[in-house]
Amino acid sequence: MADLATVAEPAAGTPRRRLVPSVPLLVTVGLVGVAVVVALIRTGSPATVRQAVLTGLLLGGVYGLVALGLTLIFGVLDIVNFAHGALLTVAMYVTYTLSDRFGIDPYVSLLVAVPLLFLLGAALQRGLIDRTLGQPLENQLLLTLGIALLLENALLLSYGGVPKTVNPSYDEPVRVLSAVADLSRILAFLGALAIAGLLYVLLQRTRLGTAIRAVAANPRGAQLVGVDVRFIFMLTFAIGTACAGAAGVLVVPFVTVEPTIGELFNIVAFVVVVLGGLGSVPGAVLGGLVIGLTEQLGGIIFPSQSPLLSVFFVFVLVLFLRPQGIFGRRQ
Amino acid sequence: MTTTAPVTDTVAQVERADRTLQVVLIGGALAALLPLALGPAQESVAIRVLIFALLGTGWNVMSGLGGMFSFGHAAYFGLGAYSAGYLLVEHDVSPWIGMVVGAVLAAAFGVVTGFLALRYKLRGAYFALATLAFAEMLRLFALNLDLTNKAIGLNVPLVRGSSWWKLQFPAGSSNYYWVGLGLTLLALVCVVLFMRSRMGQYALAVRDDEDAAASLGVDVMRVKLTTIALSAAITAVAGTFYLQYYLFVNPDLVFGNSVSIQAILPAVVGGVGTVLGPIVGAMVLGPLADLSAGLLRNPPPGLDFLQGRSGLDIMIYAALLILIILVLPKGLYGSARAWRRNRR
Amino acid sequence: MIRRLVPLTALLALGAAACGGGAPATTPGSETEGAAPSGPIVIGALHPLTGGLAVDGQQMADAAQLAVDEINEAGGIESLDGAKLELASADTTGAAEVAQSEAQRLIQDGAVALVGPYQSAVASQVAAVAERNSIPFVIDVATADSILNQGYTYTFRMQPNASGMGTVGAQYLADLAESSGTPIDKVGYMHEQTEFGTTVMEAFKAEAESLGMVVDPVISYDAFQASDLTTEVTRIKEAGVDALAVTGYYRDGLLIANNVAAVQPGVQAVIGIANGAYDLPQFPTDAGEKAEGYLDANYHPDVTQDGYQELAEKFKAAYGADIRTPAVLSYEAVRLIAAGLEEAGSVDRADLREAISGLTFETIMAGNGPVEFDEKGENTNAVPILMQVQSGTVKQVYPADFAEAEPAFPAAK
Repeated sequence: MADLATVAEPAAGTPRRRLVPSVPLLVTVGLVGVAVVVALIRTGSPATVRQAVLTGLLLGGVYGLVALGLTLIFGVLDIVNFAHGALLTVAMYVTYTLSDRFGIDPYVSLLVAVPLLFLLGAALQRGLIDRTLGQPLENQLLLTLGIALLLENALLLSYGGVPKTVNPSYDEPVRVLSAVADLSRILAFLGALAIAGLLYVLLQRTRLGTAIRAVAANPRGAQLVGVDVRFIFMLTFAIGTACAGAAGVLVVPFVTVEPTIGELFNIVAFVVVVLGGLGSVPGAVLGGLVIGLTEQLGGIIFPSQSPLLSVFFVFVLVLFLRPQGIFGRRQ
Repeated sequence: MTTTAPVTDTVAQVERADRTLQVVLIGGALAALLPLALGPAQESVAIRVLIFALLGTGWNVMSGLGGMFSFGHAAYFGLGAYSAGYLLVEHDVSPWIGMVVGAVLAAAFGVVTGFLALRYKLRGAYFALATLAFAEMLRLFALNLDLTNKAIGLNVPLVRGSSWWKLQFPAGSSNYYWVGLGLTLLALVCVVLFMRSRMGQYALAVRDDEDAAASLGVDVMRVKLTTIALSAAITAVAGTFYLQYYLFVNPDLVFGNSVSIQAILPAVVGGVGTVLGPIVGAMVLGPLADLSAGLLRNPPPGLDFLQGRSGLDIMIYAALLILIILVLPKGLYGSARAWRRNRR
Repeated sequence: MIRRLVPLTALLALGAAACGGGAPATTPGSETEGAAPSGPIVIGALHPLTGGLAVDGQQMADAAQLAVDEINEAGGIESLDGAKLELASADTTGAAEVAQSEAQRLIQDGAVALVGPYQSAVASQVAAVAERNSIPFVIDVATADSILNQGYTYTFRMQPNASGMGTVGAQYLADLAESSGTPIDKVGYMHEQTEFGTTVMEAFKAEAESLGMVVDPVISYDAFQASDLTTEVTRIKEAGVDALAVTGYYRDGLLIANNVAAVQPGVQAVIGIANGAYDLPQFPTDAGEKAEGYLDANYHPDVTQDGYQELAEKFKAAYGADIRTPAVLSYEAVRLIAAGLEEAGSVDRADLREAISGLTFETIMAGNGPVEFDEKGENTNAVPILMQVQSGTVKQVYPADFAEAEPAFPAAK
């Protein structure tokens, strides 16, 4: 079950541990490099490619954050959570409402939205999803799909379909290495990295994290040693949902808020999770960056096609060539 | 979501299939009389039910009977719609021929993508995601290619009066209903015959226990690909019918995610893996949209806040979906059938 | 065998009942033949009253109702003995299939003409229905050329179509360049990728090139999924163009304005062609300082006409909001149909179609003259006009007949 469960053990007798980057990782970085070169040739303009790389990385960070929650849920509960995007949208609307009604700054809304989404995730898991434990995969997929449709359309019913914007006044463009980006995108990127880091520390350095990883590796075994597996399931789902919530809040300043916006992030998150390896936190972050770059560079290299096409192309390639992703283990 | 008993008693299976066939034929005969009782507005709801039923039956073959969960059935639907549409608009080819071409094309696409997916051992969630990706890619291609007229979509050239060859009748003609009904009945008969056949039996065996079937000498790949081909063909036929009835398609209408969801819902609501399940599901879901639209247009007193808002119909679908999965995972028809069987 | 039959029949009956229960009760078809109507004359309106486009859709339905009320107060249709009009408003929900069945329903209920629908894909559907049922359909808002390229005789459009807007937009740009002495040789184009953006761009490009301009690079984007267009705007900057043309909807138009402010491509002007953002009063509010100087060649009511001012006041009084362009077109479309009824002196749909096709209709929309339709159903006098954001307000600036203020050109970004 991928990275969550592995603990690096030095083989008995080896004097040192050599840090060798894995082959898939190198291949990925290499391919991205190739894409950059192709883009340079295609446009003949370093400035454009610089901008594409910056935009791609910043967006990729956010994709990674969304994927983080998804990969955690899949790694531990073995559920592909189709409701992830919808939960992200809920967080966005919470932020919008706080900003619109009470004038609260989006970044302050994190303090409200994240715990709210955490509780919502816990409630959904314990109330609905838990009941399909042990049932075939399709049931769980369809259940999360049903929840997604319900949430999205409840938002549509309550807020209407008109797109809404939240524009903090301090959101100014910032020059980064002769390319430009909005401050809100940079903050989103940094926020994503921070949360990823926190999550990594949680999983690797705390007792709770160890329990989660144990359940991911072997639920029955974990139960035997006294871990409350059902509680861990609920907690992990809640954490995953909270990540989606955080991502939702962070992107509000630069996207328009509408009920279906979560769907876009949903699909991309799946691609990132598969690319990075189901259950892998570093994989989600790296995968996010790669997909962000793919989208931007793809848009330059194939100007007449939708940039999303490049993303799906990569997706299909990964599914066929290495379905376990960059950091995953072969099942 | 298995609903049929494991393949042990072939005789009972065949008997069941025969009975289902009789039900289908008699039900079909009765349904053919329906236009005499329905007004034109209700007929359009009935036609929507038929399209749902075709879609759901197609999906059910691959995902219910074949056990290969598909999240991208819009791919086949769209291929059916666009093949027939292209041939009609550019080359004046009859939609009947277009229907066959579409079915063949969709089956071929299904076989190729299915082969790739199965060869690389994609299962469960991965397989489902792959089907989703393929459907999306087709949508994006259709959006950007001149061949499909890009985002403009295809308009069926209007024919004055009635034409069976061009599959076009005056607005509100009951012929549309009968054509749709005929196609649905044909699809159901095909499904029943498939289940009766050796290939169909193998498909069920592979679904229930792939390794056991393989060890008994079943060519798993061949069985699965045949199932996919049949599923794709039926769904493509639904796509062509849609084109001829609505006279206009564009990438979002026929390759969009909502179509894939509409393919899944009837079978889940009615009973995945049963022949009649998608029909029951379609009959429940079809009128629901109209009912909720009516509700939104003229809300009963007390629900006034609903006026002018949208999203209610899908909320009802979603709530129904969740309820069915939690309470009646065998679907409405599937559960009723199992309950009746247990009672005997 | 019989046992199986009973539940099946019950199920079918249930299905039929459900079908019946869902559809609204249909009244027997009112008079569609003959000269004098027995009751009010029904005009069917199809707009997205719910869903993402509801804000405009709702306004359009309201404006249509306003027109109906006005005509009735003025005495109804004179040539039909003062017969009153009635508006039957239907919700397309923004979906083509729903629009189709709603159109059928309206026709079933006895509408003599249809008005709508705001979206091009929906318009294609409704036009097909109108043609098959031989009922006049007046498009208030839908830009795609293809709708009227099918050979339909029952569909009419008041607004300029996509290629019309592209062609005239290019002419305006050339005019501005000449009159201000600022050479515009190279134009960069960003357009949303569906038929709307593509057709407008192609028409613009053809005209611009015939006027000696080069249109390059041409960048298309997905209006519904793009969340950042900085890379695209950087490409424009790198190409060293003199002007940037943009065709798209509101959300992406606003996004591009923000990205342009960040990247500062150094163009002499940003001109929207049929752009859904740059001539909206909301745009300067949402974009603030960044909106200053943005041009838009788009269909627009002629604000210098008294008729428009009266309408704007009435609408504000009745509905509490400023009337937007699509709603003005709906208002005019209803008035057009009424004029057609006057001319025809009959509610027969074929007669009405005849009358409409031969009309000369004075309109408060800006154009080259009164509304007159060609054989395809396009308004031969439809033309976009140029607007510009000046000091936080959208003003009509060109051609001179419609100008409220002088165009400020160049308006460098």
